[in-house]
Amino acid sequence: MRRTSRDRLVEDLAGAVASVGAAASVGATARDAGDKVIVDDWAPLGESSIWQFNRLFWQRLADWERQAGRGFEAALPSGRSDANDPAAVADAVADFWTLLVELDKRGQLPAEIFALEIGVGSGTRAGLWLDRFKAIDEARATGFYSRLRFLLADYSLPTLDRAMSAVAAHQGVVSMIATDALNPLRALSFLRYKILYVHLTNVYDNLPVDELVRRDGRLYLVETRAYLPQPLAAAVAAAYGVGTDQLRPTIARLLETGPDLFGDRERGVAFWRAVWDGLCLEERLRYLEGTADVPLPPGLHGDDLDELLATAPADIRFHISRGAVESFVNTVPLLHPRGYLQVQDIFVATMDEYRQGFRGPGKLDGSVVNWVNGALLRAVGARTGYDVHFAPFRYRPGSRTSILYTTLRE
Amino acid sequence: MAGQYLPTAVVGSYSMPAWLERAKNDFLRRRITAHDLDEMHDAAVKAAIKDQEVAGLDVVSDGELRRDNMIDYFATRLPGVEIDRGSKASYYDFYDSVVRNRMPMAPLGLVEHFRFLRRFTDRRTKVSITGPHSLVKRIRNQYYPTEEAFAVEIARIMNLELRELVRAGAEQIQIDEPYYSGFPEDLPWGVRAINALVDGVDARVSLHVCYGNRYGKPSWEGSYRYLFPAILEARIHQITLEFARRGSEDLRLFKEFDAPFTLGLGVVDVKTHDVETPAIVAERIREALAILPVDRLSVNPDCGLLHLPREVAFPKLGAMVEGAQLVRRELQG
Repeated sequence: MRRTSRDRLVEDLAGAVASVGAAASVGATARDAGDKVIVDDWAPLGESSIWQFNRLFWQRLADWERQAGRGFEAALPSGRSDANDPAAVADAVADFWTLLVELDKRGQLPAEIFALEIGVGSGTRAGLWLDRFKAIDEARATGFYSRLRFLLADYSLPTLDRAMSAVAAHQGVVSMIATDALNPLRALSFLRYKILYVHLTNVYDNLPVDELVRRDGRLYLVETRAYLPQPLAAAVAAAYGVGTDQLRPTIARLLETGPDLFGDRERGVAFWRAVWDGLCLEERLRYLEGTADVPLPPGLHGDDLDELLATAPADIRFHISRGAVESFVNTVPLLHPRGYLQVQDIFVATMDEYRQGFRGPGKLDGSVVNWVNGALLRAVGARTGYDVHFAPFRYRPGSRTSILYTTLRE
Repeated sequence: MAGQYLPTAVVGSYSMPAWLERAKNDFLRRRITAHDLDEMHDAAVKAAIKDQEVAGLDVVSDGELRRDNMIDYFATRLPGVEIDRGSKASYYDFYDSVVRNRMPMAPLGLVEHFRFLRRFTDRRTKVSITGPHSLVKRIRNQYYPTEEAFAVEIARIMNLELRELVRAGAEQIQIDEPYYSGFPEDLPWGVRAINALVDGVDARVSLHVCYGNRYGKPSWEGSYRYLFPAILEARIHQITLEFARRGSEDLRLFKEFDAPFTLGLGVVDVKTHDVETPAIVAERIREALAILPVDRLSVNPDCGLLHLPREVAFPKLGAMVEGAQLVRRELQG
């Protein structure tokens, strides 16, 4: 998503050197925008228009897939989602079963057993999970299945509809609810402290992030703006009969209203795909006086950031996974006192791991994918009464997925 | 006459300022001295007392702001409890604490903090302590043969402290036992430990039982039915329970059982930032009045306000007081 040419790099470096000692903006020197069409304004990464593109992708997934000629899971590095690994799902059900039996033994199992999956994808995982749960219940005659209330939650109604068809065999115990992963509590507040199991796969990596850089003891916030390189912009403009100067407002309209903007959806989708394919981010670093100036998501305290930085490598670039933090703090209040959260995703489990290289964001088909700062979530979890742990996803060799799970912090 | 009814009080704790949390952590990491932290505690307690007075509470506490948490404040004071000082990363964590030998008798030093409270308010006051059952669940026992024996020993030691508090002028003492709800099977010996704790203590004793408030969330769920009838044997004057968050269904237990104690009615939910209106508080009181006479009711939040920011805790107390006043006026006709 971030590209540069050799010439550009030299120029930027020269600009950076020249700006040493000032409140520098590195990477976006006062460069003529003539070689590009700017799509949005400088802003922290979390406010970039790439997240609007991302949202549009999930809301209009069927339109995108129809033109792409393949399902979104085919774009994954392994060609399929780790969410749907049968062995992983079986283990997840077994863990949940252990909890249910324990609660039942103590007479503390609620009459209704609520489970929630946020970000349902194709519904395949939910289907596998429910099949397994039902099979165990029948084998052990526990009667848990009939008490199960399995909720499928997603912000995209078309996605939910598709997922519902994948769990049609369990329609008596499944409900769907349209909710934003950033704040499940808003739609589900009536279930506060009632849900025994919440699962998300590849949702956190799809939520807005900011990035911070610490270099030579100075702290910077990464600001970005999206652009189309001029030749590509000209080609897109010509192909869709839009003046180059009208590209930015046309893209804004696409993001606001969807791909019907030309009165021809297929053409609109093609425009969307062409724009997304060429979209790049340029960035600059905004100097911050200290951590008190960092825009923190709700749930993350400045003290936590100070503590993380105290143990982090001296020079570091890392994520403030604001969407993941927001989602986490707005999800755990739904958990029953003995309930737990499980998240399958690509996590950076310690700040030290940021030494190892570039961590996104990147494009995955029409969506944005990004690594999630697990160390940050660990700090946020501690404040909300949960210890956060990470286990490698051991079901597919070479997988970079980890499983976050919470345990109660006594 | 009705003005004397429905006295209002906090359950114990008041909103913990973020700056005080930072200071407690700084002290834990030896970045500030005990003297500095003591000064901050004094300032925070004075502010908490003032807030309670301004909100209009009839009975005030010191807000429990000196405490790291409900366990360590006592574990570090109880004689014979060994504390691993390096065992916690945050002030709110629990120390790893253990008893390896018979506990000796010694004062806990609660009187000094009570005297501080007394010096800064003319209102009636309440001192709350963590009960022996809850302490037994968090302090490891490597000496006593049973949890009950351990709890009764703690009760025996704390009983002396309660008597000292009474000698210093304490009129209302509250015992917090949230762990009952997690271990209902312990209740018979839990009650025996309470009775040992309050033996000969000449004060109005209330027992607070909730479903936990660790990190501002419940630790268990269920019904207060498990308390009955065993709790009827407790030698207490009042039981303080949570109803605002959980609903009023369990109030009927007071119809079913002829309890010899009054009820501290939880009318403010401490696990949400939504501030109740006085009308909602009044309605909750009226529901209780349908079951209990007015002289057997006090009004309080569900639990401590520790985890609520001050800008939420303070208006909640104000709404509680105003709601109680609404009902008092109705009773006066």
